[in-house]
Amino acid sequence: MNLSTMFHAVVSGFVTAALASTSALALEGERSVFPAPGQERTRLVINGVTDADVIAPLIRDFQETARDVTVEFNDYVSNDLFREAELACRQQTSHGDLWISSSVDHLVKLANDGCARSHQSEETERVSAWANWRDEIFGFAFEPAVIVYDASQVPPEDVPRSHVEIAELLRRKPDEYWTRIGTYNVQLSGVGYLLAFHDAQQAPTSYGRLLESFSRAQVVTSCCNKEVLDLIEEGRLKIAYNILGSYAYARYLRNNDMRVVVPRDYTLILTRGAMIPTQSPQPDLAARFVDYLVSERGQKVAREKAFYFAENAPLPPGVDGPISLIESGIGRPIRVGPALLAAQDRATREEFIRNWSSLFAPGVP
Amino acid sequence: MQRTRRSLFARLVIRVAVVLAGGAAMLMTAAWLYARAAADEAYDRLLQGAAIQILDGLVVEEGRITVNLPPSAFELLGLAPRDKIFYRVMAPDASTLTGYEDLEFPVDIANARTEALFQTSRFRDQPVRMVAASRAIADPSIGGWANVLIAQTTEARQQLTTELTTRALALVGVMSLLALGGTILAVRYSLRPLDVLGDTLRRRDSQDLTPLAVDVPRELAPFVESINHFMGRLDDRLQLLQRFIADSAHQIRTPLTALSAQVSLINEEALSENDRRHLDRVKNRASELARFTTQLLNHAMVIHRFDSVQLSPIDVVDVARKAFRAAVPITIDPDIVVSFEAPPEPLMVLGDGLSLREAIVNVIDNSLRHGVVSSLAVRVIRRGDFVLVEVEDDGPGIPAQDWAQVTRRFVSSKSGEGSSGLGFAIASEVATTLNGALAFRERTPGTGFTTFLELPLIDARPSA
Repeated sequence: MNLSTMFHAVVSGFVTAALASTSALALEGERSVFPAPGQERTRLVINGVTDADVIAPLIRDFQETARDVTVEFNDYVSNDLFREAELACRQQTSHGDLWISSSVDHLVKLANDGCARSHQSEETERVSAWANWRDEIFGFAFEPAVIVYDASQVPPEDVPRSHVEIAELLRRKPDEYWTRIGTYNVQLSGVGYLLAFHDAQQAPTSYGRLLESFSRAQVVTSCCNKEVLDLIEEGRLKIAYNILGSYAYARYLRNNDMRVVVPRDYTLILTRGAMIPTQSPQPDLAARFVDYLVSERGQKVAREKAFYFAENAPLPPGVDGPISLIESGIGRPIRVGPALLAAQDRATREEFIRNWSSLFAPGVP
Repeated sequence: MQRTRRSLFARLVIRVAVVLAGGAAMLMTAAWLYARAAADEAYDRLLQGAAIQILDGLVVEEGRITVNLPPSAFELLGLAPRDKIFYRVMAPDASTLTGYEDLEFPVDIANARTEALFQTSRFRDQPVRMVAASRAIADPSIGGWANVLIAQTTEARQQLTTELTTRALALVGVMSLLALGGTILAVRYSLRPLDVLGDTLRRRDSQDLTPLAVDVPRELAPFVESINHFMGRLDDRLQLLQRFIADSAHQIRTPLTALSAQVSLINEEALSENDRRHLDRVKNRASELARFTTQLLNHAMVIHRFDSVQLSPIDVVDVARKAFRAAVPITIDPDIVVSFEAPPEPLMVLGDGLSLREAIVNVIDNSLRHGVVSSLAVRVIRRGDFVLVEVEDDGPGIPAQDWAQVTRRFVSSKSGEGSSGLGFAIASEVATTLNGALAFRERTPGTGFTTFLELPLIDARPSA
């Protein structure tokens, strides 16, 4: 299983080299089926990049409003979903009724290539301008990129509250945090790449310094937030950087030692996007689910049970961070729009990853 | 029969409206063209800016061109928020460094070396605006021109064009409506003298042939002059005719008098019964002819007087009394009761005593001839600002439907009688000239049939 391969790779320290080999494998999505609460009449197939148990409350609540719908949710790694979706779009074959991804740059690229179907309704009017592109991509979740630390291992004076503080901490106590920091592998994870790309945009100098510190501290990288969080819980890592707020907070609710910090210099905010593919076999049903996701009811469930953070709500209790993200200007939403095409450019991406890889595994091109 | 054509007002307004509509259409087309050019220019700059930024991001490293697409370039293009972007970066050897390999520029991009080229084209079945820009790569190993092509869909341009055009549309619409409204008002105002002229002509008495005295714009002056000229000529002709009639009447009177004298000399005794009857008829006809000739002369006299005599204040009571005396002959049947009633104080009107007397005489005479059975009453009464000269008799009267007719010349109430009368015509003419009227009142159980002249008093002052 891929996850265990990853796990071993991380533990053995040959992170980058091992991951390079796994990325070649095409991953099938992990299938979860939510049977219709009533008599099943239709089946909505969602291909997404989200842990099924995170989105489960939303799907179940949706089924309350559509009792005859069975929902099949396939959880992909973002790059895999992108590859499959692009292929399906090019060959004009169907690949599920609805795509959901936090790698909104993938969705933007797909929409730009004409793979998306436009949908407009009263509900979609509610989507913020930064989270809606061409009425084809609808952002329905508010995901700040946060720092997670293990309170049992990180003394209070070491808790980093900004990007710069991580770099300083690593310089101050290099030995204590050597191989004890975890973050996304930008090569494997579309979300990781998107966040790193925007980190480089937002603060080129401090991010450069941060990368250098990461490189010296032999940061552990992983495809998925879940794994990094698992490693912290197991005591192998102390701090994780660029974790999506919802995963981090869910973990905090389970284990109060897993503390969540929203950086105070700037915080990237990602949305999860939903897109109805042109070849969707059931576009109307998919549109119904999209409407649900962005509706007041869907957003309430999302805030309470799935993603915890919301655009117009205070930070959830227990989160260490600025009082208000958007109003203070600290939150920097990654706008769903054509600017993300730059992040998706093949050459730019290769160049970025090449630089990143060279820092994280010196000597390996 | 003259057909009534569309009104001047409608002609003017329709033509102006057509011109305005044509102008508005032309303005709209122009506005749309301008708006499209403006939108193209605005968004072309974004395209060009993005192309320059992308070209700036090309770096030669170890004999290899690396592309680093600046997100700011795409943010710039993202100012057209709904538009898709397709791009292609090409090395000097025309190989694609990154982007959409199927993106082609419609014309030779070698021209892009001097300045960026823009084209409107299609890509993947959607309309796009394209830019091609070049940059010289100054590296000995890969010298040459690198190119970047960027295509952007045109939603934002179309939206801006529509927005600008819509605003211009509103403006042109408002202006056109204002212009049309202004034109309608102006035309109304300009045509008012025509209405005034028409009104003056309409209200004019049919007898009045004096020149029109209305202020008209210069354009209408020839028209009014023609009317006046024509009326002048008509007036001359009429005067000639009247003089001819008067002369004729005068000429006829002399032989007529002689004829009457000769007839009266005929010895009736010597005639047979039959001849005597004929002779009576000849006498009757001769006297009728004499009366008629007198009326003709009177008529001519009345008209002549109004043409030449200045009107002056006269006392209607006095004039009516004189007329009564003149009209009622001494030889009147003693069975007929005649009466004259008048207020003690004088009632003054502006007029000509002789003409007015003639008018009243004619009314009384007519009544005596055709109406009176046993009584005739002449009254002068004041009613408000008017003075009424009433002549009432106990005859059958004139039926109401004939009233309008009898005031015309040579028409009498009883056509069979052959008494062609100028009496009412003269009376009516005089009354009208004095701003009054000749009118009738039906008989009622209490009163007889009444003919009356209604004349305005000089002023409403009670002392007058």
